[in-house]
Amino acid sequence: MRTNKMRWLTLLLVIMLMVGLLAGCGGTEDPAPEEPAEPAEPAEPAEPSEPAAGDVSITVAAGAVGQELELTQAAAERFMDENPGVIVNVLDTPDLAQDRLGLYLQFFEAQSSEVDVYQIDVIWPGDLAEHFVDLNEYGAGDVIDEHFPAIVENNTVDGKLVAIPWFTDAGLLYYRTDMLEKYDFEPPTTWDELEEQAAAIQEGERADGNPDFVVFVWQGDSYEGLTCDALEWISSNDGGNIISPDRMITINNPKAIEIVDQAAGWVGTISPTGVTGFGEEDARAVWQGGNAAFMRNWPYAYSLSQGADSAVAGNFDVSPLPAGDSGAGAATLGGWQLAVSKYSENPEVAAEVALFMANYDNQKIRAVEGSMNPTIMALYEDDEVLEASPFFGSLYDVFINAVARPSTATAPNYNAVSTAFFRSVHSVLTGDTDATTAFEELELDLQDITGFDIE
Amino acid sequence: MKQPKKVKNVILKTGFYFILLMIFIYLLFPFYWAINSSLKSEAQLQMTPATMVPRDPATNSISPYLSNYKVIFQNQQFVRGLMNSTIVATSTTVLALVAGSFAAFALGKLRFRGKKPTLYMILAMTMFPQVTVLAGLYAVITTLQLPAITSMILSYMIFTLPFTTWVLTAFFKDLPLALLESAQVDGATPFQTFYKILLPLTAPAMVTTGLLAFIAAWNEYLFALTFTSIDPGARTVPVAIAYFTGAVARQEPFGEIMAAAVVVTVPIVVLVLVFQKRIVAGLTAGAVKG
Amino acid sequence: MGSKKKHSELAKREERTAYKLLIPALVILLVIAIYPLGQVFYTSFTNRQFASSQETEFVGVDNYKSLLSMTVQKLEQEVDPDTNQPLFDEEGNPVYERPIAVLPREPIRYREYKQFSLFGNSYVLGATDVDFIDAIFNTLLFTVSSVVLELTLGLGIALVVHSNFKGRGATRTAMLIPWAVITVVSARMWEWMLAPNRTGFFNTLLDAMGTGNGRIAFLASSDLQLWAMVAVDVWKTTPFMALLLLAGMQTIPDELYEAAAIDGASPVKQFFSITFPLLKPAMAVALIFRTLDALRVFDVFQVLLGQSQYSMATYNYFQLIGNRNMGLASAIGVVIFIIIFGFAIGYIKMLGVDMDETA
Repeated sequence: MRTNKMRWLTLLLVIMLMVGLLAGCGGTEDPAPEEPAEPAEPAEPAEPSEPAAGDVSITVAAGAVGQELELTQAAAERFMDENPGVIVNVLDTPDLAQDRLGLYLQFFEAQSSEVDVYQIDVIWPGDLAEHFVDLNEYGAGDVIDEHFPAIVENNTVDGKLVAIPWFTDAGLLYYRTDMLEKYDFEPPTTWDELEEQAAAIQEGERADGNPDFVVFVWQGDSYEGLTCDALEWISSNDGGNIISPDRMITINNPKAIEIVDQAAGWVGTISPTGVTGFGEEDARAVWQGGNAAFMRNWPYAYSLSQGADSAVAGNFDVSPLPAGDSGAGAATLGGWQLAVSKYSENPEVAAEVALFMANYDNQKIRAVEGSMNPTIMALYEDDEVLEASPFFGSLYDVFINAVARPSTATAPNYNAVSTAFFRSVHSVLTGDTDATTAFEELELDLQDITGFDIE
Repeated sequence: MKQPKKVKNVILKTGFYFILLMIFIYLLFPFYWAINSSLKSEAQLQMTPATMVPRDPATNSISPYLSNYKVIFQNQQFVRGLMNSTIVATSTTVLALVAGSFAAFALGKLRFRGKKPTLYMILAMTMFPQVTVLAGLYAVITTLQLPAITSMILSYMIFTLPFTTWVLTAFFKDLPLALLESAQVDGATPFQTFYKILLPLTAPAMVTTGLLAFIAAWNEYLFALTFTSIDPGARTVPVAIAYFTGAVARQEPFGEIMAAAVVVTVPIVVLVLVFQKRIVAGLTAGAVKG
Repeated sequence: MGSKKKHSELAKREERTAYKLLIPALVILLVIAIYPLGQVFYTSFTNRQFASSQETEFVGVDNYKSLLSMTVQKLEQEVDPDTNQPLFDEEGNPVYERPIAVLPREPIRYREYKQFSLFGNSYVLGATDVDFIDAIFNTLLFTVSSVVLELTLGLGIALVVHSNFKGRGATRTAMLIPWAVITVVSARMWEWMLAPNRTGFFNTLLDAMGTGNGRIAFLASSDLQLWAMVAVDVWKTTPFMALLLLAGMQTIPDELYEAAAIDGASPVKQFFSITFPLLKPAMAVALIFRTLDALRVFDVFQVLLGQSQYSMATYNYFQLIGNRNMGLASAIGVVIFIIIFGFAIGYIKMLGVDMDETA
């Protein structure tokens, strides 16, 4: 009799607990177990606006940054005004590219239809191509020629347009106009020139009693950012593109070795030893604190450096990155695209939304209000855009000549390729090895990863 | 004879408080630095050398910058996150303590076959890195169609339940059997024995384990990030902080992150303040038996 | 006869109660964990790609082989092709073959891990996955160093807090603060404190003390990285250890100490004859869970070192999320699992606390 009672008691307890928890309840902060059953309350957070019968609901996964998100939401509103019967939800995603990718992969693995349109990094179209529809089949062909050809090529995988370019990014050289004036230099156009100027400025500033001054900062940590920086050095020195578009491994060549060894020489001389742990924000912190004369960074640092509390406001400018033996500087292409999920329940509408958000008018609003760099070439001659961000005009040449990372050629192994590359370059920068040895090994690693031939 | 002893006492006492002071500095200084950073603007954070209190870059006078706190409290997601975290961490703790103490009583005090395998099996549940089980867990959650909050509570069992079970087993085992036996002679059921005798005796262990489990659940990030991705209303504090952004993409709002860290630590401090007395209370309860 | 029957009846009842008490814990764990864990084991024997429609094949132990295979090859001294004499460099040291030329490439390629000399011969230790071997080594070193330090400090702090003094409650509260700060955020906080210039606290401090040049790269220099990780982790998790040990100390009856004091045992002797032995079970559990967490360390490495040095778990993350190599990532998970299991059993044997004995 008693055992029976106990059995029921146990069962009841477990059920009560489960029910309580399933209702997502809580409230008391008392971890004492005397009161295991909690009052159930319907605490489920409000769902994003449910579509009325007959409506189509589209979810766009996009950047979470304050203004960026607002601009995207505003564009969604405009789309809904023009297209009654469609509801566009904007889902914010983490700003950290890696976290964002991790999240997307969970959706793809579950073949989830929750998200219809994804904001993807310029290096993802190749690796993620299989999860997206071909936008050419949804009317992108009419507008695609307006965009920068390098990005379009990057987003085209085996003839399929995986994503529509949305906004772009490329590496720039930031320099201090007051410093160059003080030491009577012109902005450097070659790496050698930059080295010379940097050495002179460093000596002068240290003598002036600024022990924190480090001259040249860039992204030297072991991460994707180093792939961007190193690709700029190598490409500007005629050293190829790591892996060529026709799928040959080209990295182990004298030009590439020469420039990477040269860059390794900067560490601990014109750049701090800590630069091998720097990301974009570390470089910006040193620069904006007034402790560097040169910085390699993306356009985002421009408006921040002009900010009211910036130590360098009004005393800097940007130029294309210096050149090596090729005679021209190279800038690595960055930026974000919009892609439509294959698992979407309404790919036609989703594609419409994606193309709408990336069209001339919407990119213009983003450029004017959020100084985000458009991917439509004509916008760099648009008066309103130029008025809002005068430095956009000088960026056109940088963007049109930007170098894409070999993400499409190496798909779906770009991440492994890039990791092998930046770890190899990093080991040269830290002095663990020299570029000759490192690239000999890297070449074999890349062959293992991709199965391509070595040139 | 008396004098040297007094001197010795003074030295001992001074030594003791010196050690205590060192412990305080070691444990609290980094947290002080977080408070310090949370009161600095970006320009103040970029100053060299770093300042011990927020100072104005130009005049060097003390000038705390309060905007960081203003911004995080205007962030709906963060405020909501505080509530979600409280719900998730509390439910997790309660569930882990209840289920864990049941199991621990069996494992620590009762004789049955298959005890060792059970113990190791429970521990084994928590031996994989989180990221390894994430994909499978996500599949389970999707199949069962659980709401985000429930999925977090259940998935946190993976690391809290083995912990509470093992810690409580270790503590239950050392409890004097005589008490239990006398209770049994009195005709108490095992459940009564558990609630009336065992529970008060083990209050220190319960409170300790509960606090540690609560904090572990409060701080969890990877599962929460994944399970709340589609349901922004359910995001917990660590996820809400990860969604903090600067004015433009890539900018990291370090001051705001530190402000959030400070704000988020306060509830835990309050919780500990409330419960730390129970650790002592347990001691007194133990003394009653004598 | 009758009493024996009664006894076994009692034992049966006890057993039934035990099983019932275990039900909630086991049901929860089975529902939530059995599928993910089973899937990890199964996937580790396949070449499954994460988030990919690619056909999954069973590959046996290939993943384990490519993670753990190691080889030792002798490096012969280079011979001058003209004179047929052994080669020496300018300083008179023998020139050996280059490892990259010696290490096998088929069927899987071995990369150079370490070179070493033994009995006048030169050897190269090759591994198929140098990064993972490094990650194992880093993680083990990290685990042992941080757990030993945490145990020592935690025990010290617990003893101090256990003694009777004014402000004990405040200390107990303050003690838990490092553990309470959200891990991801505390890693960011340390990243800022360890900044490689004088925006960071440590460079400012060392510079003010006249050592260092204000530009020490704690997180970028391979000599300092791992120790920085240990320092961060010890700060963060010592409270966990201290609190568990403190709770263990609370359950030791005061009468034991009183009796020992009457016998004239010194505090040190009391510690070794009473506190330590009675603290063992609590210590074993604290050690097991700390070690388990340290071996799976993720946040601290991910935030502070990214991909310049891996821990086992960050390497796992990189293979799964970065390379989407789910089969290999699962195998890494299983390897971590086995290592942790080994540690857990080691502790239980070493400390002589058999969890399964019934008093």
